[in-house]
Amino acid sequence: MAFLEKSNWVALVVAVPTLLIYAVLVVPQVLSKPIAEVSWVQPMIFTIVGFIVANVLGNVVAAALNPAEAPKKDQRDTEIDHFGERVGNWLIIAGSCTALVLAMAMADQFWIANAIFLGGLAGALVSSITKIAAYHGPFQTW
Amino acid sequence: MVKPTLVTNSIRSLRFASGEMTQADLADRVGVTRQTIIAIEQGKYSPSLEVAFQIARVFRVPLDEVFQYPERQT
Repeated sequence: MAFLEKSNWVALVVAVPTLLIYAVLVVPQVLSKPIAEVSWVQPMIFTIVGFIVANVLGNVVAAALNPAEAPKKDQRDTEIDHFGERVGNWLIIAGSCTALVLAMAMADQFWIANAIFLGGLAGALVSSITKIAAYHGPFQTW
Repeated sequence: MVKPTLVTNSIRSLRFASGEMTQADLADRVGVTRQTIIAIEQGKYSPSLEVAFQIARVFRVPLDEVFQYPERQT
């Protein structure tokens, strides 16, 4: 398995629990109290930092397990990486546009921040899934 | 999502004709990963012209002995 594929597996394995942890910390509050009283800033910071740290650690472990493979990156890796990022970016843009509309509609900052957060996380998830699928199936950029 | 390539190749037979060269050896000589050689060999990925020429040069054969493209698309 190419190192970049491993790296995307790490991102996928980290993103799913990250999303679940955030949901467990915030969703029960949303269902039980007014939005203005929901404590979401700390859980969001915790999950974003946790996602980044776990990703870095996962990549370090993957590189340490096969140090010869880690620095190798060729044309196919680059093309798959760009393709996956392009697909994932659509969700980041969708999240940002949703946040823009919510801001124009004077929605609570909880909804604006969460639209951006979920767009970013969904973008990372879909980007990783797309790249892993590209590594296993037919792939060409033309 | 991505249409399969129509380009076919003879890399596997050329490797065996070259003293059973391994995919790893070919990858090292071309400067790509072994996974990329596997994907090219299985027809899952079409390399750039540059990589295609490098592969042909390793086997010391013309490009069209390594890669083939059908005359008419069906």
